[in-house]
Amino acid sequence: MKDEEIDDVLKETARGPHVLKAETLQRVSDSIKTSLRPVRPMPPTWVLASGLVLVCAAVALAGAARAGFYGIEKMDLLERALIFSTLIVFACVVGIGLVHEMVPGSRRRVAPGALLAIVSGLLVGIFALLFRDYQTSDFFSAGIACLLTGLLFAFPAALLAWLVLRRGFAVNPVSAGLVAGTLGGLTGLAMLELHCQNFQATHVLVWHIAVVPLSGALGALVAQALRSRAS
Amino acid sequence: MAQYQQGDFNAAAVLIAQLSPQLHRFFVAQSGIRADADDLLQETWLRIHKVRHTYRPSDPVLPWFYAIARRVRVDHYRKSSRTTARQQALEEVSRIAAPVSGESGRLDDIAALLAPLSGGEREVIEMLKVEGMSLEEAARATSSTVGSVKQKAHRAYKKLRERMSATAFRKGHSGGLP
Repeated sequence: MKDEEIDDVLKETARGPHVLKAETLQRVSDSIKTSLRPVRPMPPTWVLASGLVLVCAAVALAGAARAGFYGIEKMDLLERALIFSTLIVFACVVGIGLVHEMVPGSRRRVAPGALLAIVSGLLVGIFALLFRDYQTSDFFSAGIACLLTGLLFAFPAALLAWLVLRRGFAVNPVSAGLVAGTLGGLTGLAMLELHCQNFQATHVLVWHIAVVPLSGALGALVAQALRSRAS
Repeated sequence: MAQYQQGDFNAAAVLIAQLSPQLHRFFVAQSGIRADADDLLQETWLRIHKVRHTYRPSDPVLPWFYAIARRVRVDHYRKSSRTTARQQALEEVSRIAAPVSGESGRLDDIAALLAPLSGGEREVIEMLKVEGMSLEEAARATSSTVGSVKQKAHRAYKKLRERMSATAFRKGHSGGLP
């Protein structure tokens, strides 16, 4: 059987208008009539995404201002330019993704899980090119401290991002939570790059970058828990 | 839709009259149960009304409606799956016992035709072939990529082809029904 024949069968089966009972339509109309008032449509994607990036930058800068800008002071010009421009680009991409998750019927170019994997993979690649100190002193003690610090700043960033988009409606809350967590993770990573002066490659590649996928996973878990509680 | 956002009831009534049959057909094709589809339609319009500010006039309108309809269906499924086995069994009995109205015959055909497909495949075929959406619109409505929609449609066609060929073979062996 050819695809065209299947098309014909489907069209033939669905042919003709589907008539609904008048009382069903009336019931729907009545249900919305009492609360019908003008609403303001959500702003364009670029406005919301810019707001998200600004909020995340503010959280990262505030954290580093409190803890000290030791990391960025130790970097050379190339490292600063590459690391922070990469983080800003990724924050824009993930921010746009989060806006799309919160506006029904938006275009999705990459699935949230794939976006998280791509961002994490590219970060590993870029950071591996920049950090060439292969010593591993205090691998676990220093690493866990950085991981927890990064996650500590990821949480308020994700929460503020959610507040920026509070008027939105997530058709898939778990995906939205994953993307919000990823954005928070990028904020935590930015804070660590501003602050942490441990430039050992394994430390940065393992513990700093781990903030991004872990935060994304936590975001998805929190959204799943909230959805379960709501339903 | 823009007028509906501005609080125009007539615009809302026109939208309800135009889109409700499509949305209802979508729910029937998914569940095959007309009573469920009525409830889902009502719930969908309440949700649409609540989040109508999330529609932006520059975006296509159908994917926006269907994205919300999908969410309502998923929530409904999640809630109903939590009911006790006893309640589910009783509901099944009442559904089976309920008479099928004449006007729903065509819809039952669609539901039966799409029955071998998974939920995701069924909704993609319903959107593409019954509602006439483009791949891009179906991708927006299902919050997925165009590639994913293509893949689901391909799998669905493979299953439909196998099913239809088998049915034609059986009919051929049973004396050739018209």
